[in-house]
Amino acid sequence: MAFINLQNVTYKYPLTKTPVLQNINLQVNEGEFIAVVGPNGAGKSTLCYTLAGFVPHFFKGEISGSVEVAGRESSKSTLDEWVRNVGLAFQNPFNQISGAKYTVFEEIAFGLENNGVPREEIKPRVEEALSLTDISDLADRSPYSLSGGQQQRVALTSILVMRPKLLVLDEPTSQMDPIGTREVFGVVRKMAEGGMTVVMVEHKMEWIAQFADRVIALQDGKILLEGKPNELLTSDLLSENGFGISRYTSTAREAKKQGLWKSEKLPVTLDEAAEGFKP
Amino acid sequence: MHERLSYYVKRDSALHRLNPLTKIILALSIVLVSIVSPWYWTAHILLLLVIVPLSFAGRVSREYFTSAIRLILPAAGFIFLMQAFFQPIGNTVIFKYLFLDVTQESLSFAFRISTRIAVMISAFTLFLLTTHPSELMSDLTRRGLPPQFAYVIISTLQILPQMQAKAQTIIAAQRSRGLDTESTFFKRAGSVVPLVGPLVFGSLVEVEERAIAIEARGFTSKSIKTSLHEIPDSLSDKIIRWVLILLVLLSIALKIWLS
Repeated sequence: MAFINLQNVTYKYPLTKTPVLQNINLQVNEGEFIAVVGPNGAGKSTLCYTLAGFVPHFFKGEISGSVEVAGRESSKSTLDEWVRNVGLAFQNPFNQISGAKYTVFEEIAFGLENNGVPREEIKPRVEEALSLTDISDLADRSPYSLSGGQQQRVALTSILVMRPKLLVLDEPTSQMDPIGTREVFGVVRKMAEGGMTVVMVEHKMEWIAQFADRVIALQDGKILLEGKPNELLTSDLLSENGFGISRYTSTAREAKKQGLWKSEKLPVTLDEAAEGFKP
Repeated sequence: MHERLSYYVKRDSALHRLNPLTKIILALSIVLVSIVSPWYWTAHILLLLVIVPLSFAGRVSREYFTSAIRLILPAAGFIFLMQAFFQPIGNTVIFKYLFLDVTQESLSFAFRISTRIAVMISAFTLFLLTTHPSELMSDLTRRGLPPQFAYVIISTLQILPQMQAKAQTIIAAQRSRGLDTESTFFKRAGSVVPLVGPLVFGSLVEVEERAIAIEARGFTSKSIKTSLHEIPDSLSDKIIRWVLILLVLLSIALKIWLS
């Protein structure tokens, strides 16, 4: 059975008229790395909150259909049970700093302390997580003194350290430079290979194409397309519906119109584009 | 940016090594004894023979004297002047200003009260200088303080400087679009209005996100919380606490017996 199983999920925030998610059906296997793309207001963040249990437990509102992760039903669990299996990191890194801790090391230990992990175990786990995301050198800094990109890494690390079965990431690299982004995608890929299931909302198509197993294109609260990154990210439907697409794809599409792009398949990454433009 | 977010000074000293609760009780007992003691010179002696030596024992004397000059002296001085001028006691007028009489009695009363104020502020300054806020909260949580309460205190301490920085950013952004913040008083007062909206509403949105973030990290988890740092609580801590409590009870008894 699928690790994540969404059946006809429709959800409306309180005090709104139109549902943000409409009839979402989604099955994800354990250890799969799913990327979610879509224009603003497509319901990407709401989908993340739904998987992480905050819809409906935190935001209330009306939900129908069923949300199942690791064989458990969201509506039959409480939020504090749910977050033991599902980790969520979201976009704004500043608001993810707990504010209860004075150093990055303590900040990352916060989740483990809350879940009652014994003291002897906390230290090695935090150290392991810090080296995984390559921020060991920040351990003694105040989380508030860091740059946006560094704070995003801290936010990601403080979720990874809890070893969730499902990792939900809502634009975790929005404030990072290209090197940072690449490293985060690499870490996430590694976690997926280790058996962690990952759902990640992201706009950076080149990286999705290289690292994700499957892409979901969301629009107006519905799943528009679903498929392998290379097929889906070059689909004409995406650009017609106002999705952001990779600059390499749009360049090649333009080139194709003028007969400069020979191959049938459009590129998503720089390497594919370079390969295709070779005489 | 804000590397230093609390008064805490990281040193290794006997005072630093005491359990946080012992230090709270120490500060409270100094304050209580200085208030209830029937003897006139108690507060003065506590200040000179207990607090000052403690600041050396805690290796924070320099920080203590800095805050004594910047905070304690002005506060105690203000109280002294108020009491000396406005306390309507005594007949031995030493000094007259308009309709205000400064009498020998009001002077001596003012000296006692202002020293008490200095003792109060000093005791808690020493406590803050030698106690790490997160150690304090972990220790109190371990003893049964609700973690939500501890969180509110600690996060407020940390978030206030952040809000100040944010207010500065909003002001800079609005000034760059022509908001007048440098002319007459009334214009400047008026320019506070457009600051309030973004700051207050922005903070409300932040509260929601922060709630999600800490919830995602098991803040409301029902398991018994553990703590990264081991907080010292030795036998001598327990003995000190009981001795202090005894001293406070003794001085209360003395006060009741003498009155």
